[in-house]
Amino acid sequence: MAKIRLENVTYTYSVGTPFEKRAVDGVSLEFEEGLLTGIMGHTGSGKSTLINMLNGLIKPDSGRVLLGGEDIWADKKKMRSVRFRVGLVMQYPEYQLFDETVRADIAFGPRNMGLDGDEIARRVSEAAKFAGVEEEWLDKSPFDLSGGQKRRVAVAGVMAMSPEVLVLDEPAAGLDPAGRESILSGIREYCRATGAAVIIVSHSMEDMAVFCDRVAVLADGKLCMYGTREEVFARRSELYMLGLGVPMITDIAHELLKLGVPIGEEIFTVGGVSDSLRRIISERRGNKGKGAD
Amino acid sequence: MHDFVLGQYFPGSSVIHRLDPRAKLILLIAFVAVTFVAHTAGAFILLAAVAALLMLLSGIPLKIYLRGMKPILYIVIFTTIINILLTSGDDLLFEFGFIHIYKEGIINAVLVILRLSLLVLGSGILLTYTTSPISLTDGLETLLSPLSKIHMPVHEFSMMMTIALRFIPTLVEETDKIMNAQKARGADFSSGGLISRAKALLPVVIPLFVSAFKRAEELATAMECRCYRGGEGRGRLHVLRYSGMDVVFFTGGALLIGAVIVINIFLPVYPF
Repeated sequence: MAKIRLENVTYTYSVGTPFEKRAVDGVSLEFEEGLLTGIMGHTGSGKSTLINMLNGLIKPDSGRVLLGGEDIWADKKKMRSVRFRVGLVMQYPEYQLFDETVRADIAFGPRNMGLDGDEIARRVSEAAKFAGVEEEWLDKSPFDLSGGQKRRVAVAGVMAMSPEVLVLDEPAAGLDPAGRESILSGIREYCRATGAAVIIVSHSMEDMAVFCDRVAVLADGKLCMYGTREEVFARRSELYMLGLGVPMITDIAHELLKLGVPIGEEIFTVGGVSDSLRRIISERRGNKGKGAD
Repeated sequence: MHDFVLGQYFPGSSVIHRLDPRAKLILLIAFVAVTFVAHTAGAFILLAAVAALLMLLSGIPLKIYLRGMKPILYIVIFTTIINILLTSGDDLLFEFGFIHIYKEGIINAVLVILRLSLLVLGSGILLTYTTSPISLTDGLETLLSPLSKIHMPVHEFSMMMTIALRFIPTLVEETDKIMNAQKARGADFSSGGLISRAKALLPVVIPLFVSAFKRAEELATAMECRCYRGGEGRGRLHVLRYSGMDVVFFTGGALLIGAVIVINIFLPVYPF
């Protein structure tokens, strides 16, 4: 079932000035529970505007945002509770940390929800686990952590509200490969464990291929592709025309398929392709061995 | 907030946009002076006509100018009332209890209204709407450069101004972003009393300060890496040069001053 749904939403910036720009143009999308959806698109394609609509930071000029079937703009007084149900992690969220300790910073959201002390403590430690925040950081000042560590704290700060929809704008941007891997796995774990609908905006095709169940592609404010990664990455030439492309490994796998190498279906991740290549290599070696006998 | 800071300059390529910023500064000073010299109906009609012509040349929609006039409305109303009530003179027009209204008061009020409107229009046309902040500080620095002979740090001041102007939009954007991030975590900025509202701003102010200081440090390092050592012996990328059009406008400005003085003397018709 769709947790949150965008119905034909449109938004234009700076109406009536020379800077007028239509950022989102008639987009309809659904995000289902327990699924990780990736949103791809060029800089300026409307991704950020779109995700700011999901928790009511931006009100669409037309169209509706339905959370659990209810229009989030129907009752403005309920907006705060909408924000607790739709957690948003902005780009470079490490710049929003402010409290004296990491623990207090992660607890900021749950505290605003008016939860009691025990529940807050439980949520903080749960969120810290998902986001990969280590126990010994909790009593440090967030300003003493490294960039990647701060990023995890910020992600934990939103997860601690236990949102049923979790939206992350480039959660892995600027992290080293190990950091990307671990933060994205944590997000996937959160998705699977809580059944939340998770939405990730990313530029990295590789990350999308590994972590996302569904992929949506935006161009010029319009939704131009949506489907499973197999469906979306199969439209290679269109993706290249949009300046996006597909994972490098998928490109190479396609070349190999053309050459008649039976590489199989799993052509979206380095792991999948290298597994089947190893299989093929060992098969051929085996054959060669037999021939020499 | 966006409209206040970013909505001021209107990019364009009109004659006014392309004037040398120094020329615009000098012309604005002249225009201000001349609005204070003017005190006859003819002079004001001439100035209004000139302002209208410049507005037309600037290619900026009239409604933008009208919007720019709105903030001075209250000042105008306030000074008008003060002028009418508190100016005394010989020609009593109206008397009621302690209220005495003299003809001179009304003259003063009308003069103030006309002058203020022309001032705001003039500075809008010549500077805020048509000159980018960077070229404005450039012009200012060049105009003030003689002062560096008497050891005034003109270049440093203008560099500070440039940096401040350059970072206003960045900081506004950042404030917006941090506010949104904290709102997403349920921060509430719009309810409660004064103290609780101020407290609610802490989660915005702290990260903002931290990043502003970080930015300042990074910028200073970047400038040092490129061997910035202040104004001494420093060349410039855009050397300001007066063009033919600047000369035309200077001549126009001189003629306008002359015309206003002549009208003041020879056509003493008063505006009411």
